[in-house]
Amino acid sequence: MKALFSAPAAADGTVGARRPARRAGGWQPLLVVALLTVSSVCALSLGTPYVPPHRLAGTVLDGDTTLAGIVVTELRVPRLVLALVAGACLGAAGLVLQEALRNPLAVPEMLGVSSGAALGVAAPLVLTLSLPAAVQPFLAIGGAALGGGLTLLAAGLGRSPSAVLLTGAAVAAALQAALLVLMVMADQLDLQLIYRYLLGSLSARTWDDVAGLWPWLLVAAPALVLCAPVLSVMRLGDEDAEALGVRAQRARLAALAIAVVLIAPVTAVCGPVAWVGFLAPHLARWFNPAAGAVRWLSWSAAWGAVVVTVADVPARLALAPVETPVGAWTALLGVPAGVALMRAGGRGRGLGRVRRGTAGSGPGGVSLRPGEATGTEDAR
Amino acid sequence: MSRRFAALAALAVVCAGVELVAGRGMSPAVVWDVLGGGGDATERHIFLQLRLPRLLVALGAGACLAVAGLVLQSALRNPLAGPEVTGVTPGAVLGAVTATALGLAGWDSPLAVVLAACAGGCAGAALLWLLAGRGGGDAAQTAVHGVLVSAVLGGLTAMVLLVEPGELGSVVQWLVGTTEGRVWQHWHLLWPWALAWGAAAWLLAGPLTLLRCGDDIALAAGLSARRARTLALLCAVALTAGAVAAVGALGFVGLLAPHLAVALFGADLRASLPGAALVGAVVVCGADAAAQLSSRLLAEVLGSGRLTLPVGALTACLGAALLLVVVRRTPSRTF
Repeated sequence: MKALFSAPAAADGTVGARRPARRAGGWQPLLVVALLTVSSVCALSLGTPYVPPHRLAGTVLDGDTTLAGIVVTELRVPRLVLALVAGACLGAAGLVLQEALRNPLAVPEMLGVSSGAALGVAAPLVLTLSLPAAVQPFLAIGGAALGGGLTLLAAGLGRSPSAVLLTGAAVAAALQAALLVLMVMADQLDLQLIYRYLLGSLSARTWDDVAGLWPWLLVAAPALVLCAPVLSVMRLGDEDAEALGVRAQRARLAALAIAVVLIAPVTAVCGPVAWVGFLAPHLARWFNPAAGAVRWLSWSAAWGAVVVTVADVPARLALAPVETPVGAWTALLGVPAGVALMRAGGRGRGLGRVRRGTAGSGPGGVSLRPGEATGTEDAR
Repeated sequence: MSRRFAALAALAVVCAGVELVAGRGMSPAVVWDVLGGGGDATERHIFLQLRLPRLLVALGAGACLAVAGLVLQSALRNPLAGPEVTGVTPGAVLGAVTATALGLAGWDSPLAVVLAACAGGCAGAALLWLLAGRGGGDAAQTAVHGVLVSAVLGGLTAMVLLVEPGELGSVVQWLVGTTEGRVWQHWHLLWPWALAWGAAAWLLAGPLTLLRCGDDIALAAGLSARRARTLALLCAVALTAGAVAAVGALGFVGLLAPHLAVALFGADLRASLPGAALVGAVVVCGADAAAQLSSRLLAEVLGSGRLTLPVGALTACLGAALLLVVVRRTPSRTF
């Protein structure tokens, strides 16, 4: 574990690595906005019927008088909004989990949170219980809390990062097996639907689905604002955090609860869009390694939105008339990219330490990064 | 020790017996008849061409998975490192699914499926090797990378399945692991492979026992830890790929059986490796018998004949329960 994050730190020239990181930090807002714009325009104009970008505004104003207007306002815009909201939720939840557990690999997928939520949604589908749509998020939350709680309890609340990770992988695998059993019981048509859902898909979502997300966001947003400062303290390590008056275990459980509230409604609507919660925080950290948890949180949410929106374009168009699920694309792109960023982050950490050593402790002078925390804990 | 082996062997025989009579379609009396040389053609066919190979495949695959799991856990010094979390099982699944989707292999040509699964399993392990090999064989790091590799391979499998949705129905059963519809062809492919790599694992039992004690002690005893670990991983990959090709991704046997074996026979692999093979065979065979019995019960209760419980479901439930016990039992250890 230690070698995974710290090996390149000593080898590379810290001075050489310093400049690109700072420059990248400056580019971050521009890049986010550019990617969001391009992918949004693609999402709104490409497809059948093709609406040229310069005529988009007019088409939206036309409303439901023309076919293109109906397609754009009733199908493409809600889909885009859903992608943005879902991505932001997943990105923020990923960062909360990673910071709270001081583990760069603590991703919803690995903690069993996503699989639990998916199980909660898929079970009534397969067993053909008819439930009102409003109950689905609660089932998802129940499943997610079950998965995440089981992992954390079994692994002893963040004792050692790799223990949490492996326990989580096993819990997730068990929940997946339960899902597969449900799928075996389903008939062929249901099976296709469920499989698509389980991979995370944004196809054919309407304004109703988007509306279902708002109440949960209203709960989660204030909680996020409240927990962000605690997260920066948690980065110091359990003992220091306790000394500063944060009850580490309780804070961890609270972070898990917030993550569950963020992830479960998204999962209920568009399925577990995998690995966004892994990639987005690492992107945020890579662009701005010296910032604290508070700034990373907002950038992580922004990057999450970017990742899902960008991934939704090939998901919709790559194999056109057939839709591929966006979750498959985020998994395929997210894991390698996230691992690469994590390794690069190890290099960036070395630079952060040196810079702070020379410049003294600034406002963002917390020198322990998640990777470093795992290193020390493993060495102990 | 030998008494435990004998008890376990007796248990295996009992499980095998239950498995033989547990299925639908024939009552135990008829089975007895067939064993004595009687019965009509259909009954003989069911017994000789369906139940017997199914039993043997269950026993063999269980033994393979258990040995692979024990080898992995010893080599990586990680009580949670089953084949499922090291990229081997997902790789094998990906290989088999891809071959099926490309039309290179069908469910009627088991040899192609075995080969494709082996290739996939090796590819999964190679990917892990590429990622983790650089880090110098650190155990926790290898395991972490294995989880990531599994995630990527799972995504690829999903893509393949979505491009070729017609196969979904038959593949899902196999993703969770089932022994249904296994015939002699599967067994003839499984046993030479299992025997060869099982022998290799047996030869590695001594070095693996040393590796369990830690790299320092192994090095002090004159063992090249890196080379031994590489050989052990290769062996585990091959065993897992063979088993996955035969019965699908049977969940958690590779995690469950080694722990039982170590609890029964101690940490000396020279004793616990054959023990693990026996335990794995008993677990899979018993779970299969239980799954058959319960799907028979379910069919009677619900009145529908098409509901069958796959073995993988039972083993996964057992494995998840055991997992909690394992992790709680080793509270102070950093993995």
